[in-house]
Amino acid sequence: MALDVELSEMRDFLARHEPFDALPGPVLDTLPAQMSVEYFRRGTRIIERGRDNSHLYVLRSGAAEVRDAQGTLVDRGGEGSCFGAISLTQGNPSTVEVTAIEDSLALLLPAEDFHRLCAEHPDLASFFDGQRFSQLSGAVESLHLSASGSAILRTRVRDLVGREPVAVATTATVQEAACTMSKHAVSSLLVMEGGRLAGIITDRDLRSRVLAAGVDPAVPVSEVMTAEPVTGAVDALAFEVLLEMVGRNIHHLPILDSAGVPMGVVTTTDLLRLEHANPVYLAGDVAKQPDVTGVARVARRLPAVVQSLVEQDASADDIGRVVTAVGDAVERRVLTLAEADLGPPPVPYCWVALGSRARLEQALAADQDNAMIIDDSMQPEHAEWFERLARRVTDDLVTCGYPPCPGDVMASNPRWRQPLARWRREFSTWLHEPVPDAVLGASIFFDMRPVHGDLSLHDRLRRHVLNSAPGSRVFLAHLAKQATAHEPPLGFFRGLVLEKAGDHKDTLDIKRGGIATVVELARAHALSAGSPAVNTQARIQAAREVGILGDERADDLRDAYEFISYVRLRHQAGQVRRGEQVDSFVAPSELSSFDKRHLREAFAIVRAAQSALARRYPMQYIS
Amino acid sequence: MSRFGRTPEQRRHKALRRAAPGPLRDYLAQPLPDVSTPLDDARLLAVDIETTGLDPRSDRVLSIGWLPVDGSRVVLGGAGRAVVRDDDAAGVGQSATVHGLTDDRVADGIPLEEAVGHVLTALTGRVLLAHFARIEKDFLGAACERLWGAELPCVVIDTFELERRHLTRGWGDEVPAGALRLWAARERRGLPSYRAHEALTDALACAELYLAQRAELAARSPRTTLTLRHLMT
Repeated sequence: MALDVELSEMRDFLARHEPFDALPGPVLDTLPAQMSVEYFRRGTRIIERGRDNSHLYVLRSGAAEVRDAQGTLVDRGGEGSCFGAISLTQGNPSTVEVTAIEDSLALLLPAEDFHRLCAEHPDLASFFDGQRFSQLSGAVESLHLSASGSAILRTRVRDLVGREPVAVATTATVQEAACTMSKHAVSSLLVMEGGRLAGIITDRDLRSRVLAAGVDPAVPVSEVMTAEPVTGAVDALAFEVLLEMVGRNIHHLPILDSAGVPMGVVTTTDLLRLEHANPVYLAGDVAKQPDVTGVARVARRLPAVVQSLVEQDASADDIGRVVTAVGDAVERRVLTLAEADLGPPPVPYCWVALGSRARLEQALAADQDNAMIIDDSMQPEHAEWFERLARRVTDDLVTCGYPPCPGDVMASNPRWRQPLARWRREFSTWLHEPVPDAVLGASIFFDMRPVHGDLSLHDRLRRHVLNSAPGSRVFLAHLAKQATAHEPPLGFFRGLVLEKAGDHKDTLDIKRGGIATVVELARAHALSAGSPAVNTQARIQAAREVGILGDERADDLRDAYEFISYVRLRHQAGQVRRGEQVDSFVAPSELSSFDKRHLREAFAIVRAAQSALARRYPMQYIS
Repeated sequence: MSRFGRTPEQRRHKALRRAAPGPLRDYLAQPLPDVSTPLDDARLLAVDIETTGLDPRSDRVLSIGWLPVDGSRVVLGGAGRAVVRDDDAAGVGQSATVHGLTDDRVADGIPLEEAVGHVLTALTGRVLLAHFARIEKDFLGAACERLWGAELPCVVIDTFELERRHLTRGWGDEVPAGALRLWAARERRGLPSYRAHEALTDALACAELYLAQRAELAARSPRTTLTLRHLMT
């Protein structure tokens, strides 16, 4: 064709981003011609609050943020983010203000084209519908739900409905209904008639309509139930359901799917859990499971919890603690179940977590790293009990989603299932006669935390290590060498900036490139200070308190670690959302220019900290 | 701006008297943009021409891309692109690898007369916007002389010159080689990267760069209403 107006760059850009990626090819081909391009310098308004907005803005580059009438940040997005849909769908004038926070290039789609597109492509319409949580934030303010209410705003009822609904038929007696409720430990029960929801009965109904009213428990439950109860839709926002329940003063809401089939019951408690401590309940649920299958089933909720925490902008430090707490709960429950089968331990022992979970920094898809410290009173005939326990527990952990450690650092390996005295010898060898490879392999054991059993065993081992470590110059030099062995990928980003026109297929191993290095730096500093801290942030703080790290450097390192970890978590949350295998390989295309700039700064800080450590422990003697 | 001491308007009238009937005369029949037009109201046409070389006497046009810029917006719906057919069949030779156009593709094109006609129609009443605009001016001008016997007066804004001013701040300092290239200027502002050397893409890249440059200039002189005159080459 001679006159060829295909704007392939814009088409390809749209095809890479939600929700346009779902549009059919021919629609994508013609979409760019309906759009125009506008440039916004950092700090300029894209949409003014109180003014009419007549375009959908799709960020081509840069970043922008949305603030509501109170100035509260409601949303922030970089390349590929859409702004303005709220006023286009909910009506003008705009209730929010959209501001460029970086120099930004935006694609503008006129309102009429936007509406036509939404009408023709329901997927697109529901995507923008989902963005209306920002519109609702004003309503939240008035309900005094505070900033943390955002969880409720972003969660859908589907994600709240945990267990299958517990139900009885209308013909069941009140007595039978009550028995079913206590057997399943539920506070409400659905009453079904021929596959259809006929009513609901709750604890409170049993109290007020049966016991207090002197009704015979032998009458059919249909006589005391709430017939034709109010129900919620599985696709509603948690917020909408909460309003419904508060408005009607009810505490249990049956949730139906689009075909009218009950999916479960949402309680006000479920909604309040969203407010802060969702993961706390997850850990609590783990502890309640009667068998490993149950533990595994509950543990599968963890990725979704992490995803929601990322969406709520929880810090990487907090999320690491949450993932760790759930990991601990799973391990403790599995150990307790195993002990119940094998009988009590013949002598005391302590089950310890190693590595990231010991540091309270576990990420998703973490391998299991564990070991056992057994009391020195152990006799040869006791070995079998401990072996059976270790095998069973490590297998059960695999069932629960914690893959075996590739380096076999697990209690099922006899080398890591030792009496205390042998552990002491092991650590003494590492500390006093270090060989490079051994130190590399051993560093994980310096991140150790007791999880289950006789905690004093761990405490005695730790005291031994901490007394010896600060004086072990050669060992510390090895640790320092390890911490400086991997340079952060500064060049990766420099290359990225220069090679913008090129096709960068490489990804960044953000664990190896940044997180592991800070962990190693903090470990070397903390051990040289004789600090018992194992958490990386706590170790940085410990090093600062004894003056090994200056205030500014400690702050910088803490922030850098938090930011790099956050980028990894966000990457993993995205993988969870897309149902992909979780890993730590971040593609440059996932990163906004904001992310890249900050990652570059973070890596530069890590690099500077490496140099400082190298000066402190001259390594020429050991290399 | 005023070769032979004449304003573009005077030159337009003169050319109008000379030009043979056709798209050039239609273009010349409309007034050129008023240089006192505020930038917010200015209408421009970003143009990029891919050629076999730099000399309009010996080299030829391979393809042309263009896009209107109305005030602060690039209007994608007005985009156009023409591949020019080579009637001499000399082949595109080495430059094909640079522009990504093969002989086959070029053979599918339209005659230069038709292609330039499309550009002139789109350019009517608009400012010619290009990066290193001399190429576009020279090749379009040479085509007009040859095809319709008259020159092509136009108001020009050159993003290359704007970039030089941006980097030197008007002090005439030396600018490092390569710093003024379109892709360097875009990268400096974090503008997205494109597959280079395709006429429409380059015209779009130039238009976006212009939006960024004029926003910078406006931010630098907040009390002045910038007009075309401030930016003209």
